[in-house]
Amino acid sequence: MIRAQMYLEDVAVGTELPVVVRNAGRVQLFLYSAATWNPHRIHYDVEYARFEGHTDVIVHGPLQGAWLSQYVTDWAGPLGRILNLSWQNRASALPEHDYEFRGTVESIDADVVSLRVWEQSMDAAILMPGEAKVRLPRRQ
Amino acid sequence: MNEHESLIPPETLAQVGKIEAETVVGDITAIGAQRYAQAVGDLNPAYFDEVAATAAGYRGLAAPPTYVQYALVRGRPLGDIREDGLFKGNSGLRLRVQRTMFGGEEWDFLEPVCVGDRITASSCLVGLDEKWGSKGPFVRITRETTYTNQLGRVVARARQIGIAR
Repeated sequence: MIRAQMYLEDVAVGTELPVVVRNAGRVQLFLYSAATWNPHRIHYDVEYARFEGHTDVIVHGPLQGAWLSQYVTDWAGPLGRILNLSWQNRASALPEHDYEFRGTVESIDADVVSLRVWEQSMDAAILMPGEAKVRLPRRQ
Repeated sequence: MNEHESLIPPETLAQVGKIEAETVVGDITAIGAQRYAQAVGDLNPAYFDEVAATAAGYRGLAAPPTYVQYALVRGRPLGDIREDGLFKGNSGLRLRVQRTMFGGEEWDFLEPVCVGDRITASSCLVGLDEKWGSKGPFVRITRETTYTNQLGRVVARARQIGIAR
């Protein structure tokens, strides 16, 4: 797999990151619970999730955080480095639903690029606002 | 609940600033980091291919940035897990609330974490803030965990936010 490298010279304040759509199936939720040793029933037991007031099992907040991290590192490319990442899980995400990851360049300080990044539903409700800083290489 | 009673008992508030639980040590393994990456759906070659990782400037196979916290999760006997799947006595915090939800995270990634690293983590309760939202009062719980590698270098700091109501 060849991954594109983002260079400092390629970005400016206001640059928009390409939109990426993520959609977790139930198998992915199970694997994420297993890989993180998370036995919480709201992620695999629909009846129990409904008892807690959800409409279905819900996508783990940290899985969406990991998607956000991947969104940033994939954009930055192999030589880029993620320095900070923060996000707030404001609303629950459901399996078998599409969610968009979007971002914009907010500022650039030397070789560090500050991004505003977020996850939104297909009707544009923001589920997870976030911020990130990445260090990008310069073209030689 | 008394309308004017805080959700945070004074003895719980006194725990802010104290180191919680014991220090945890864990090794970053390829199998663990790659299972996590696969479960996320992140097939970055730096996590799977040593040549790609080295070409990208890492010391060896890299781990996904947020993986480090899961490399240190200790399993529990079934008897220590509640009906809802959460660990018994996990937070050790006594609050006048029904339920705690995951609210988000704030990470500083100071150095890459690579396969073969031995990571030590210690956690501190850094904030308990009572707030009012659209659904009534809630407590914002902030815990900070510092991750240090085998060379004594801090590789990451994570602040995890819990929303209890």
